[in-house]
Amino acid sequence: MALARRGGIGRYYNVNGWLFVAPALGLIALFMVYPILWSLWMSFQSGRGMMLKFAGFANIVRLWNDPVFIKALTNTLTYFVVQVPIMILLALILASLLNNPKLVGRGFFRTAIFLPCVTSLVAYSVLFKGMFAHDGIVNATLEAIGIIGEPIPWLTHPFWAKVLVILAITWRWTGYNMIFYLAAMQNIDKSIYEVARIDGVPAWARFTHITVPLLKPVILFTTVISTIGTIQLFDEVYNLTEGKGGPSNATLTLSLYIYNLTFRFMPNFGYAATVSYVIVVLVALLACVQFFAARERDR
Amino acid sequence: MNVTTYLPRFASMALAGASLLAVTAAEAKEITVWCWDPNFNVAIMKEAGARYTKTHPDVTFNIVDFAKADVEQKLQTGLSSGTADALPDIVLIEDYGAQKYLQSFPGAFAPLSGTVDYSGFAPYKVELMTLEGQVYGMPFDSGVTGLYYRKDYLEQAGFKPEDMQGITWDRFIEIGKQVEAKTGKKMMGLDPTDAGLVRIIMQSAGQWYFDKDGKPNITGNAALKASLETINKIMAANIYKPAAGWSDWVGTFTSGDVASVITGVWITGTVKAQPDQSGKWGVAPIPALSIDGATHASNLGGSSWYVLESSAEKAEAIDFLNEVYAKDVDFYQTILQDRGAVGSLLAARGGAAYGEADAFFGGEKVWQNFSDWLAKVPSVNYGVFTNEADTAVTAQLPALTQGTPVDEVLKAIDAEVSAQIQ
Repeated sequence: MALARRGGIGRYYNVNGWLFVAPALGLIALFMVYPILWSLWMSFQSGRGMMLKFAGFANIVRLWNDPVFIKALTNTLTYFVVQVPIMILLALILASLLNNPKLVGRGFFRTAIFLPCVTSLVAYSVLFKGMFAHDGIVNATLEAIGIIGEPIPWLTHPFWAKVLVILAITWRWTGYNMIFYLAAMQNIDKSIYEVARIDGVPAWARFTHITVPLLKPVILFTTVISTIGTIQLFDEVYNLTEGKGGPSNATLTLSLYIYNLTFRFMPNFGYAATVSYVIVVLVALLACVQFFAARERDR
Repeated sequence: MNVTTYLPRFASMALAGASLLAVTAAEAKEITVWCWDPNFNVAIMKEAGARYTKTHPDVTFNIVDFAKADVEQKLQTGLSSGTADALPDIVLIEDYGAQKYLQSFPGAFAPLSGTVDYSGFAPYKVELMTLEGQVYGMPFDSGVTGLYYRKDYLEQAGFKPEDMQGITWDRFIEIGKQVEAKTGKKMMGLDPTDAGLVRIIMQSAGQWYFDKDGKPNITGNAALKASLETINKIMAANIYKPAAGWSDWVGTFTSGDVASVITGVWITGTVKAQPDQSGKWGVAPIPALSIDGATHASNLGGSSWYVLESSAEKAEAIDFLNEVYAKDVDFYQTILQDRGAVGSLLAARGGAAYGEADAFFGGEKVWQNFSDWLAKVPSVNYGVFTNEADTAVTAQLPALTQGTPVDEVLKAIDAEVSAQIQ
């Protein structure tokens, strides 16, 4: 009886308990809650540098009339729509290939494909920049084997620059997702596959009807993580384009735009805060949609 | 050897040495400077520091070399955060950005009026760093532009140095086509994400992205229109080697792949950094547009030194800048000959170096020329939003080359600039 009471409402009045969690709560309040609330307050202010003034909803109105913001939003969503499905599918296929116990050099391939995501963001961006330069190794190779006649303007043409960014993030993050799938695949009971094989189910159908449905929670998890990562994309674009999001703003992302608003242009911290809240809303919405979609299929 | 007699002497010497070290350590001041371009600003600041240390042995210099964008972004981050510890004592700021920093971070920079005699400097330079009657910063170099060209390549294509004097942009493109036909070399390097060339051409005809009052001046700007058309012609004629970013662009001419460079005089140090190309370069005035107000003189960049108000070595930093950059005429001769730095201290123009021939440029009196062109640079108001306007221009360049009419491109640039400058 006494135990039950302490487990109920009485627990909230236990001073010792509060003392134990107080340091952690204090730090969370100082380093998480305060900046979030302060940036929300900032998003209602506008002005140059440190000369901020309350501006009401002016920043939100400005979003709609800002062609650069619209461009950054479109680019970010393009990366998301094109890159995330490619990467997830690629990671699934690679994982199921590397899950085959008969494959020689499995460990080597797994390591090789996972390795990109432990390399430094800056180092690999700089490397990509060199490889995809006008007279870089990629153009030289493609020309040598006769695929292209003229060098591809990877970094100077709006379309190809976007392709390059997608290539770069796919290269880096596919292995990361693959590891999740590999881990999940090891947990699928082998007898299910055995039964399917005895019943004459072909390999492709085994993949789509057994592996993928059983991996659904993991696929949902990786999709949400990849969504967040892509919506916040910054480093690759910054390093590939010298911080400009060029050519022609074709690779500009929301995060890079926030950076430019804060550190490259006339600093406007208020408007930059508003744009960052767009990212918050976007990520929350997309994550909700994905959870909703996954739940629907469960029924 | 009698150790006992030596020991006290040795000990006292060691003690004296230690106390001497302690005294100098207490008095020694280190001035930290942030700047960019190892062949130019960094090398010049090292020279200036060495001169000052000779007369003030207690002051040493820590000159930090970043890329220009990194200096600007680190400075802006430091100023916004309000923590002065991360900031240097002296920082180099490009003239386009001076008013932006002064206006958006009031109190961040130390006013130098009262200490420095600004009457000795080019007035346009002083105006750039004046806010509400106070003058901040030490005027440094001018960005007067020139057309650097490879005499050897042009000779192979059948052109003499006289053919490069006083030409129009159309003629320049013509020459470029012939150079490529005869030598296989492109005429110039071009980075489509950098609007520097647009700015050079526009200012040469006396206009800027903004009018005298700082209001956008885009759709009715004949000079901007003509400069976009010129870039379009250069792209269409395919006389350029594409570059992605600054170092790539520098590589186009240091590697000998292109026949000319049109930019500010501060590039001289980088051009001269290739000793094997000595004697192969010439300098001519930049090509002119065929519109009203067109000249052969323009400006790109140019920068000045600013002292941070929060600096612990503020007094020493100001004194150093004043001693060397505002008074030492001999210093300006050295940096002119070594680095091609055309300073904005007027008295320095009378120095011997300005009249001398330069062997790297085949014995031409290039400095006299740059000095003459400097006097002809049309003055414009840079305003505080040059970065924004530049971004809008580079955003529209691909549309222009894909055949969008130039008036529509100007409208799009105007829309983007108007949305950005609130």
